[in-house]
Amino acid sequence: MYTMGVDIGSASSKAVILKDGKDIVAAEVVQVGTGSSGPKKAMENAFEASGLKQEDISFTVATGYGRFSLEDADKQMSEISCHAKGIYHLVPTARTIIDIGGQDAKAIRLDNKGGIKQFFMNDKCAAGTGRFIEVMARVLETTLDEMAGLDEQAEETAPISSTCTVFAESEVISQLSKGTNRNNIARGVHMSVASRACGLAYRGGLEKDVVFTGGVARNAGVVRAVSSVLKTDVIVAPNPQTTGALGAALFAYEAAQKK
Amino acid sequence: MSKVETILSQLKEVAANPKKAMDDFKAETGKGAVGIMPIYAPEEMVHATGYLPMGIWGAQGKQISKARTYLPAFACSIMQQIMELQCEGAYDDLAAVLFSVPCDTLKCLSQKWKGANADKVIVFTHPQNRGLEAANKFLVTEYELVKKQLEAYLGVKITNAALENSIAIYNENRAVMREFVKVAADYPQVISAVDRHAVFKARQFMLKEKHTALVKELIAEIKAMPVQPWDGKKVVVTGIMLEPNQLLEIFDEFKIAIVDDDLAQESRQIRVDVLDGEEGPLYRMAKAWQQMYGCSVATDTKKGRGKMLINKTIATGADAVIIAMMKFCDPEEWDYPVMYREFEEKGVKNLMIEVDQEVTSFEQVKTRLQSFVEML
Repeated sequence: MYTMGVDIGSASSKAVILKDGKDIVAAEVVQVGTGSSGPKKAMENAFEASGLKQEDISFTVATGYGRFSLEDADKQMSEISCHAKGIYHLVPTARTIIDIGGQDAKAIRLDNKGGIKQFFMNDKCAAGTGRFIEVMARVLETTLDEMAGLDEQAEETAPISSTCTVFAESEVISQLSKGTNRNNIARGVHMSVASRACGLAYRGGLEKDVVFTGGVARNAGVVRAVSSVLKTDVIVAPNPQTTGALGAALFAYEAAQKK
Repeated sequence: MSKVETILSQLKEVAANPKKAMDDFKAETGKGAVGIMPIYAPEEMVHATGYLPMGIWGAQGKQISKARTYLPAFACSIMQQIMELQCEGAYDDLAAVLFSVPCDTLKCLSQKWKGANADKVIVFTHPQNRGLEAANKFLVTEYELVKKQLEAYLGVKITNAALENSIAIYNENRAVMREFVKVAADYPQVISAVDRHAVFKARQFMLKEKHTALVKELIAEIKAMPVQPWDGKKVVVTGIMLEPNQLLEIFDEFKIAIVDDDLAQESRQIRVDVLDGEEGPLYRMAKAWQQMYGCSVATDTKKGRGKMLINKTIATGADAVIIAMMKFCDPEEWDYPVMYREFEEKGVKNLMIEVDQEVTSFEQVKTRLQSFVEML
């Protein structure tokens, strides 16, 4: 039996096809999100990669910001439940999940059976999210992918506040005009994101293992920053962009079995 | 349309159109209306004058612009909206405004009313050291001043007999609303979260005797129906207010029934009655403030609100508590960490959502509520 999970985020669309609730036969990411052609493309790419067709899929669960806009979905579930499900499947020792996506950040506490004990989300603010890094990368005249490289070469951390993206952007500009090294600013940006997201994790009470997921977990600079703020090792989820879609596909498998 | 739907439609009409409710009242009685600012006021005194007490609790989804001149960005959105509406003259038809000042923002706002009736704003203070008899005496003195000013502005003498009559009408309305809360909890299929709020909100813009009659009729109609099992979740909500309807519609969409509340705009208004007794009406009204409990603006050194909410979840069989946090409301934010710790210690599932009257997009709240339902 094949089931599908589609995670339609603000900045990217992800699709996972699962065989018998265990084997990932396709996991595709398209870097455009809700309201775009991204969700369809991610699904098409997943079909192409697996050699399957829509009619082969027994059940589809949509998640993410655009979950209610996918016509092919049999059910919608929140990304918090799906990330928890996907992460627990991949890392059963996970008790705290930090998920930083394009426009929001979440901390999720799990019990030892993978159930959600508590969760916290950022408020209506881009600080502490992928969008924050994107804005700062533009000011630093670099790309998102190169931010981690700059951070790696930093000798110290330039202080960048985590209160507001607009204020932080002007801080970055004033650091640049003072002649602060770009590498140090990149590290400061990552620390800013980490301190904001880790604030959410502290609210739920931190318990190991800590797993970091979402698109921002691909940035090694933020991973280092999160680990340093939390003063603990952080496990980066395998293929962190697709854990929500994986969780959705797992829920889809459970639903298909009940049909 | 069923009788239940007809009554709910009447109440929703009033809740959605306060200006029309006031104009209709004026046309019918020849008398005007008196604004009642949040959170507590001796409304019975206004009722005793024959004027219509009109609740003032801001507006929904209105863009703030002029109010920025007078209030900082971190003032709560109710006060921002009220200030904006004042600047636009929305309250100019009110004959007077009763203004209690239990928080810092209310204190500031009370000193800069911008409506045409700025000279008819009646400011009074609730004593916060509520355990003392001196507090009652102080509040009686405050109420005497309120009475005197109301009489002067409205040109009506408030007699003890009229006040006693109004107290009885208000006590009856509070009792009927407490019963309504239980009925709404038993019949979530009949009373949605949106309906429940409309029944509460309408009481701010109607004479209480008329509201009581409608709600009594509504209760009787609903109780004649069989109680059906509820396959959704049940919650107790707490906070200043839970609006607008788009937010409540998310509760309905995910089958989250509100089985009890501790909202300042709703059940806190009906929690405490003015008791009978030998003393005069002003003293007994003052005593009601002393008996108030579980409210962020009524000082409670024992911090009993969390326990009260836990007890409510037990009594109603609720699955969780939802904290509707009014953005930038200091008193509510100070209560939250204490309550949160108690909920966690007792294993009471809880979720905080933010309420901001200026917001028009609710996707993030929708995600939180859906996740919460899935978690439960």
